Amino acid sequence: MKKTRIPAIVMLLLSSLASLGVRTFLSPCVHEDGSLAACHGAGQMLLGLGCVLAVLSLLCLFSSRAAFGAYLSAMPVCILGILTPGTIMNLCLMGTMRCHTVMQPAMILLFSGALLCALTGAVLSAGKKAL
Amino acid sequence: MNIFSLAFKNLTRKGRRTAVLILLTAFLSLAVFGGSVMILSLQSGLNSLEARLGADIILVPSQAQSKVSFQNMFLQGTTGAFYMDASALDKVMEVEGVEKAAPQTFLASLKADCCSIRIQVIGIDPEKDFTVQPWIARSLSRELGDMDVAVGCKVEADVGEIIRIYDMRCKVVARLEPTGTGLDTAVYCSMETMAELLRAAEEKGVSHKIESGDDVISAVYVKVRDGYDIDTVNSRLNGHIRKATAVRTRSMITGVSDSLAGVSRTITVLIAAVWVLAFIILLLSFALIVRERAREFAVFRLAGASVSMLGSMVMLESALCGLAGGLAGTGAAALVLFPFSRLIENALNLPYLMPGLTQVLLLGVLTVVLSVAVSALSSTMAAYRLSRVNPGTALREGN
Repeated sequence: MKKTRIPAIVMLLLSSLASLGVRTFLSPCVHEDGSLAACHGAGQMLLGLGCVLAVLSLLCLFSSRAAFGAYLSAMPVCILGILTPGTIMNLCLMGTMRCHTVMQPAMILLFSGALLCALTGAVLSAGKKAL
Repeated sequence: MNIFSLAFKNLTRKGRRTAVLILLTAFLSLAVFGGSVMILSLQSGLNSLEARLGADIILVPSQAQSKVSFQNMFLQGTTGAFYMDASALDKVMEVEGVEKAAPQTFLASLKADCCSIRIQVIGIDPEKDFTVQPWIARSLSRELGDMDVAVGCKVEADVGEIIRIYDMRCKVVARLEPTGTGLDTAVYCSMETMAELLRAAEEKGVSHKIESGDDVISAVYVKVRDGYDIDTVNSRLNGHIRKATAVRTRSMITGVSDSLAGVSRTITVLIAAVWVLAFIILLLSFALIVRERAREFAVFRLAGASVSMLGSMVMLESALCGLAGGLAGTGAAALVLFPFSRLIENALNLPYLMPGLTQVLLLGVLTVVLSVAVSALSSTMAAYRLSRVNPGTALREGN
């Protein structure tokens, strides 16, 4: 397996986990009466960012020509993913709620891991390009 | 080529064996670092709870104890509202042995005000208060003004932000330092602001009125004068004030302290079990590795390497595994413990306050050092066995 593909595979796994997680076990808060919680928007945004990152990972995996550009594009997506819960978009008011205790830390970890992969992938792809 | 590069090459040449050794030491470090941080956090949480309660006795309406568990109010931030006549404060001051008494009024916000759970609003008298006010003073240099609120660190509102409680706009003027208790989830305001909020709550159908009128308080925090027995003062308060119950704060903390001791003991036993098990596995692993590499060491001996040099090489290899494993284990524990600290706190239902950065860094360094030391120690037996191997016999046995 080519070394440049390993970060893409890990990034694909992390982004899939973020997208699926935010709809299931890492989901934002749910009101008992079914109404939308303040953190609902952040959850939707994270789902979108996870999907975009998954597409970029696939591009890195299957197109060696586009890999470098795709890794570079993945970086701002990851940074957005890290900043979305709590910084760019508001979460619920109480720090003890699910969006603060589960969704936010998990998403920060997943997108930070993906950012690390994107950086590694970009460096490896750039080295390959230079050769 | 020196011993260090030789040991390093030996480790990289046998990647899988090295990975297993690193994994084992990583598991060790994860248990030690994770367990130690948890024990320290629980201990700081209890200290913080003791410091924050500050009072010796709390006087509450008689019906309060059936309405809400005080332990839950202080530990988990469970909301609770109960009222008694404000004249109870004067009656408390009449009791012999009372040094200070401070009233507090509680109000639970509506779910719809901010989010899907209710927030406890606590009204204090800044002039009389000796429990919450010193804590607020660390974050706010002036007194709480009209419609000003100070929020606990788990209420995610920034200074300057407006939060709505019963449709009243309250300005956040301070965010308080974490205490690791339920007090972090409350909102604090002055008695004047609380009166406004009670009026607004009344309009929304949440009544606080009692038979004697609407001049109410929820609790009186009492500090007993030096030289007086707290139990005696407690009994005097119970006898002097009707329709109210005096509770010793120590009795609330004792329950928490017992649970905390139980959790700490379990974690300590688990850490010890993991260490003993891992040490035995490491000991056996190194013994097997040395046996497997007997011919390799015999060739080294014939090439002129001394017994002590080979022993040092084995110990260096294991120390390097310990270092890598120690760093990986400590890092993995940190990745779970710090981002998910609030989840752990919710799950434990005990006061939980993370130690400071310096303490954590020191603990991390100690864990890595311990991991290196244990790895090196577990290979000493193998190094000793190595010194007794005859190169000629080892080579012949290999053939």
